[in-house]
Amino acid sequence: MNAPAAPARLGHDRPLRVAIIGNPNTGKTTLFNALTGLRQRVGNFAGVTVERVEGAFTLGDGRRVTILDLPGSYSLTAGSPDEQIALEVLLKRDASHWDPDVVLVVVDAVHLDRNLFLASQVCELGLPVVIALNQIDVAESQGIAIDIPELIHELGVPVIPTVASRGEGLDPLRNACFTAAALPAPTPRFAIDASAETSLARHKWIGEVIARTVTRRARSLDTPSDTIDAIALHRVGGPLLFLVIMALVFQAVFSWAAPLQDAIESLVLTVGSRVGDVLPEGDLRSLVVDGVFAGVGSVLVFLPQIAILFGFIGILEQSGYMARAAFLMDGLMRRVGLHGKSFIPMLSGYACAVPGIMATRTIEDPKDRLATIMVVPLMSCSARLPVYTLLIGTFIPALPLIPGLDLQGATMLLMYLLGTVTALAIAALFRKTLLRGPVRPMILELPPYRWPAPKSLMVSVWQRCQVFLRRAGTVILSLSIVLWALATYPRAPEDATRTAEQQQEAQLAHSVLGRFGKAIEPAVAPLGYDWKIGVSIVASFAAREVFVSTMGTIYGVGGEDDAALADRLRAETDASGAPVYTPLIAVGLMVFYVYALMCMSTIAVTVREAGGGRIGWRWATIQFVYMLVLAYGAAWLVLVIGRALGFS
Amino acid sequence: MTLPVASNDPSCHCPLLDTKQGSESTVVAIACGESEACRLRALGLYEGATVSVIGKRHCLLVDVSGTRLALGSDLATGITVQPRAASAP
Ligand SMILES: Nc1nc2c(ncn2[C@@H]2O[C@H](COP(=O)(O)OP(=O)(O)OP(=O)(O)O)[C@@H](O)[C@H]2O)c(=O)[nH]1
Ligand SMILES: [Mg+2]
Repeated sequence: MNAPAAPARLGHDRPLRVAIIGNPNTGKTTLFNALTGLRQRVGNFAGVTVERVEGAFTLGDGRRVTILDLPGSYSLTAGSPDEQIALEVLLKRDASHWDPDVVLVVVDAVHLDRNLFLASQVCELGLPVVIALNQIDVAESQGIAIDIPELIHELGVPVIPTVASRGEGLDPLRNACFTAAALPAPTPRFAIDASAETSLARHKWIGEVIARTVTRRARSLDTPSDTIDAIALHRVGGPLLFLVIMALVFQAVFSWAAPLQDAIESLVLTVGSRVGDVLPEGDLRSLVVDGVFAGVGSVLVFLPQIAILFGFIGILEQSGYMARAAFLMDGLMRRVGLHGKSFIPMLSGYACAVPGIMATRTIEDPKDRLATIMVVPLMSCSARLPVYTLLIGTFIPALPLIPGLDLQGATMLLMYLLGTVTALAIAALFRKTLLRGPVRPMILELPPYRWPAPKSLMVSVWQRCQVFLRRAGTVILSLSIVLWALATYPRAPEDATRTAEQQQEAQLAHSVLGRFGKAIEPAVAPLGYDWKIGVSIVASFAAREVFVSTMGTIYGVGGEDDAALADRLRAETDASGAPVYTPLIAVGLMVFYVYALMCMSTIAVTVREAGGGRIGWRWATIQFVYMLVLAYGAAWLVLVIGRALGFS
Repeated sequence: MTLPVASNDPSCHCPLLDTKQGSESTVVAIACGESEACRLRALGLYEGATVSVIGKRHCLLVDVSGTRLALGSDLATGITVQPRAASAP
């Protein structure tokens, strides 16, 4: 297929603009990735993409295309915030004036009738249209045969069969975009409005088109997905399975990572001491060994856990289980005044609150959405993982409970559950006070189950690891250096009568960090913490992992040997010789971290997604303050109740 | 809003919520909020479409031309259908 003079018409300086639209979960992002070589997130549920993402590719002959991936949409008249984004680009009302030359409609060949509803609406916008008939492989396997020439004839626009996940049909698609740009826009058949009459007329026309173009084996009502759903959505079995999956995930995160973690830990220690050996004794050596290696190294240790967590989240997203989880939770969510769909952003919050808050864009009702935004940061994100792991690994014994779950894994699960249950309770509170209103009825598409593609799973895990490493190399590294400096200067006078250990303690107490710590100690003393924990908490408001790196630095500066951080924490005693860290203190600290909002990016996203400007800041402030109060109050309660029960 | 669909015996009409699991029926009318109705029609659940109930939990699990949908029971009460079996003499 050769494209005629399309580039000439557009001018050589301006690339062709193609906007991708289609029903949710049809493979738009998969196609976008295949065309551009980018790695945007793909998942098997409606509402994975909630932002516009721009990419580009160049044809062999030098013609350039910029292409826009958009959130999925069922029609041009429905109205959740993510669908609005797609609509604005198509109606050329987009704030950045990205007016498409061609609209590429990605259509799911298996559900052609439903997909043609949106496709036919797009054909009425007065823009050139190309249709990618995607997932042809699935259609074929289900005995669905589509007469493509006849479909082109019926629709009056080019139709290209594709299998986006295997990169099939891309070249004809690229060429078709150029060809279409030179063709006149298809002639409208109906008006685009939300009226029932128009919808019915459209469906009637679609029915006729389908009758002329699609032949299929008799459809059985019992697909493999239904067989799985008989268990996964069972009244009793469903929630049980959900809990088992969650327990498995947290146990795996905890125990599978351990050997790798030990390996990284000893590597960091060895390299650290080797480097220390070649450096001359003095401040530079202390900076490298205690600041960089002890600080950043103590965080790097958690890379395997991050990878395992994101691996599991990837499997949940790509298999199609996310929508089932939303379905299962709908009853509970409704009771607290949220929509079942709100559970998908909450689950994404286990990875990171930022995409979780972004994912609320799929929620239509503004109050529902705002209530969800307010509680997503209560879901324990991956940045809390290093804190939990350090404290659990150090202070909670690995007593076996039931096969596959020990006390450490169970404590981890408990922390995640605590965050989740509190999120639901707080949502209920918001829905009864500031955000009162009715709950919208549930309408949720359950996609067929799919095997997660190992390659895209690896890519998403690797991407998350890169983010983590980048954080370690930037925020955490610079904070470690700053904290090292604060812990090292001003120098305490040498006193020959003191032992080396006492001298180190005196140095810490004499430093800026020590004085600051002593000043804030009264604020954390009611929670049972000493100034070192206080300082680490304050530092971790920049990023939660910094708690671990700060502890690493403080104990690096204060300690002599190369012992791992966990051993130093266990050995730490106060003036009277009693241990500073007891299991009770550790649990209290974890509870503090479950609740406290210590993440600049989350605050920024809340400001933007809650309405921006003054309104956005108001909600972000409410969120920050209520979470801080909750964190402090709960940590205090843990200590008081724990002591009353006789724990130390 | 009720739109005329085929000639049906209104005495057989019932809410979708009350149909039997595994049964097929034809949608007669959709009574709910405008935006929900609009969304349902875009999903293929329009007046005249065939729906089958696959499962009943706290909400309804239905099949609409190959798409699995979960519908809140409040919505399913507002959708009036004509069961297929009932239309046979
Ligand atoms: N078998 C098969 N699976 C595909 C094909 N294209 C995409 N998929 C799968 O379909 C699912 C959805 O893909 P996405 O690219 O995330 O879909 P999307 O249209 O961007 O979805 P939203 O962003 O939610 O609107 C993923 O599980 C893909 O692996 C295809 O051609 N064949
Ligand atoms: Mg997408």
